[in-house]
Amino acid sequence: MSSSRDQILARVRAALDPLPERAPLPDWDRELVRLRTQAPPTDLWTQFAERLTNVNGTPLTDVAALVALLEANGWTHGYCDPALWPELQPAFPDSITVETAFDRSRVDDYAFGITAVTGAIAETGTLILGDLTTSRRLAALTPWTHVAVVRRAQIHPDIPSAIAAFPDDPNLVWVTGPSKTADVEGILVEGVHGPGCQVALLLG
Amino acid sequence: MPTQALDTFAAHLSADRQQAVRANVTRAHDRRTAILFDQLGDPDALRRAAGAIKQHVVENLDTLLPAAEARLQANGVQVHWASTPTEACAAVHGIMTARGATKAVKSKTMVSEEIELNPYLEARGIDVVETDLGEFIVQIDGDHPSHIIAPIVHKNRREIATSFERHGLGDYNDEPEVITRRARAHLRQKYLQADVGITGGNFLSVESGRLVLVTNEGNARFCLAATKCHIAIIGIEKLVPRDRDLGALLNLLARSATGQQITVYTEFVAGPHASGQVDGPEEMHVVLVDNGRTEALASDCREILRCIRCGACMNVCPVYRQASGHAYRSVYPGPVGAVLTPLLAGKQFPAYADLPKASSLCGACNEVCPVDIPIPDLLLRLRDRGKREGAPAAKVGTPPMGAWALLASQPTAWKAALAGGAVINHLPTKLLPIPALQSWTSTRTLPEWRGGHFRKWMKSRPQPQA
Amino acid sequence: MATCLCDAFFDDVARATVEVLEHLGCTVEFPEGQTCCGQPAFNSGDWPASRKVVRHTVRTFAGDAPVIVPSGSCAAMLFHGAPLEFESEPDLGDVAALGHRTWELADFIVNGLGVTTWPGRCDARVAFHRSCHSRGTPSGEAALQLLESITGMTVLPFGEADQCCGFGGTFSVGFPHISAAMGNLKLDHVRETQPDLLVSADMSCLMHMGGLAEKAGNPIPTRHFAQVLRDALTPA
Repeated sequence: MSSSRDQILARVRAALDPLPERAPLPDWDRELVRLRTQAPPTDLWTQFAERLTNVNGTPLTDVAALVALLEANGWTHGYCDPALWPELQPAFPDSITVETAFDRSRVDDYAFGITAVTGAIAETGTLILGDLTTSRRLAALTPWTHVAVVRRAQIHPDIPSAIAAFPDDPNLVWVTGPSKTADVEGILVEGVHGPGCQVALLLG
Repeated sequence: MPTQALDTFAAHLSADRQQAVRANVTRAHDRRTAILFDQLGDPDALRRAAGAIKQHVVENLDTLLPAAEARLQANGVQVHWASTPTEACAAVHGIMTARGATKAVKSKTMVSEEIELNPYLEARGIDVVETDLGEFIVQIDGDHPSHIIAPIVHKNRREIATSFERHGLGDYNDEPEVITRRARAHLRQKYLQADVGITGGNFLSVESGRLVLVTNEGNARFCLAATKCHIAIIGIEKLVPRDRDLGALLNLLARSATGQQITVYTEFVAGPHASGQVDGPEEMHVVLVDNGRTEALASDCREILRCIRCGACMNVCPVYRQASGHAYRSVYPGPVGAVLTPLLAGKQFPAYADLPKASSLCGACNEVCPVDIPIPDLLLRLRDRGKREGAPAAKVGTPPMGAWALLASQPTAWKAALAGGAVINHLPTKLLPIPALQSWTSTRTLPEWRGGHFRKWMKSRPQPQA
Repeated sequence: MATCLCDAFFDDVARATVEVLEHLGCTVEFPEGQTCCGQPAFNSGDWPASRKVVRHTVRTFAGDAPVIVPSGSCAAMLFHGAPLEFESEPDLGDVAALGHRTWELADFIVNGLGVTTWPGRCDARVAFHRSCHSRGTPSGEAALQLLESITGMTVLPFGEADQCCGFGGTFSVGFPHISAAMGNLKLDHVRETQPDLLVSADMSCLMHMGGLAEKAGNPIPTRHFAQVLRDALTPA
């Protein structure tokens, strides 16, 4: 008795056998996906920051600005990747408390989560998260505010180069701004299941 | 003349619903046009290239499917094959039972609607929660989605607020932000308590075995991050040959579907979580579903299998805009549904043979399709099939053509008819036993019959020199 | 090719087509045996019936003179639809050959003959409906270009101009509610511009929209663009 696999593949073969030839895979031109821009390209961080702002993300270039954002919004307790905390801690006031271990039974306790990226994409304002560089997936996902720490050298110019540079990571997530939906009458609401505030913090 | 079910549905659609659908999808279409032409130099050339990539996939599934399976297995993913909805549901259920799992959270996937997964699991004591906001609302309403991207394009905020109140999510409040926050809070706990995350898949790269999941809400991410077992259900046609081909398709998908450059989240899942990552699935399964796709593959309409489920075709379709998604009686509405549904139906083709006729063949769908599917040609082929198989649903509202063809291939008879047709200028059309004529004149006047006048004029002129 | 609609209802459109072509210096032949392009049966799914009519058309238009049609819909049937329904037929070659020398009128004038401006005068505000079968062909642009070049002519843009008028052949009688709704939606957009004339390169669309308007007691003057070109040559 043949398995579903065998039956499906047999039907596929029977369906395709009559074709006199098979459609070839085109060597499509990368130029087709190049973004038209009005202004000449600036440096990658500038373009990245512009595109991120465009989708209501928050690009920041120093820890002080991050602290100011957290304080202004009353986001005074959160999580930080323990590998990043030594770099950030000096600039954090005592009024903001940080855990370096994430407890999923208390998701609502964390107003923010700070984690590292494995890359970024300038033409879309995208942060690239991966299992090998994100200390805890839930810490990057569940708090209202996610702070992704980016280094200049991590920024790819565009989608094709980001794909060409895929690291050997079983779970990559391209994050482009805060989560959103327009399911209710096409009206945009941010902060659905993922963060409502998406920060990219450039550190070096 | 009896009219088509889809036309009758449209005639009875409430003005409110019709306006909601038309406004929402027209907006989506306009956004698509704006972003594609603002941001890309030659979007139509990109569509044709993407169409060629997917046509290659369709015509090489015999080698690509086994290659994809091998790659998935090398990545530590368990692969299941399902010919029918029951097999697919049983595969999912079997995975869950083996783990003693009773709670699932689910991100949006049309193939799961095809196989009717939720009722199957619920009947066996599994708690399944839809996490996409639109699908969640559909679920609590016991409704069906009417659009493949925007499932509740037919609902307004008042209906949603009433449903939320009925479901115990708070007092009546129809502010979209409040509705969304309530869903966020309610669903958080569902994710965190679930055993299994069920998703679909937008693309599966044969080269790397990466399954691509795109959302704006973050619900697919959460389904995976919070649970220990990931079950992905995809149609066998969802393959993409190489990672780099995703560069073409991802540049088209969000722009075509929602007018965004890219969706908020694009997840590339190449297996269970990395060993150093606390969160995420320790087990990953992919269920490859046929459910009539091999029938479509064997037909002369196999190009429909290129479809990447963006919804652009239904957004622009003037018939969809008038009738709305539920008029199509199937999981896939609009132009793609008018082709796919009858094809996937296999032996039930006759029951859906009317859908390919619900089109004026305007071609707008092909113009917006990111993979350049020649939908009008496919609709025509299915009309031919409907006639050859004598499907009653195809016959409804269709004037008989046999006598007309005789007339139109015999010039003497034709000229006689041109002269004789003048009778309709004098007789009330109500008296003429021609159903098509009755149907026409119910909403339109008929012009004056002038058969023979042109030929007489042409003959009366000096003839051209040979 | 006059088209069956013009043969039955719109003799002046066929006449205008001949007069326009002769003005451009063409010698126009009218093979008497012509009937219809075969599209009604093709669209209905009765391909055997359609093929019968197409074969008759192929025989009637034997030779190698270009075949000019004042209809984007009929022209598309000959160069796209007919080859599709003949793809497994032995005489596909003959059908394809006819298709290769078939031209929609505006496309022929602009791209076949290289004529891009039209002489004469027509003082009118005109809404131009580009029919769906000219999607992806040069016909719509060609007709628009010719109309806009006429002295005194104003071509008015209107909303959702790309959307189908709702005729669709037998769709108009099989799906009468939706067909009428689509037509009325377009008429609403057109009326907003308050045109003197609704012009198109396809009588099927005009017959549908004109018929809807007239039945509703709010008629709108319609003209085929061939008639507009012809009349511009001898302005009133």
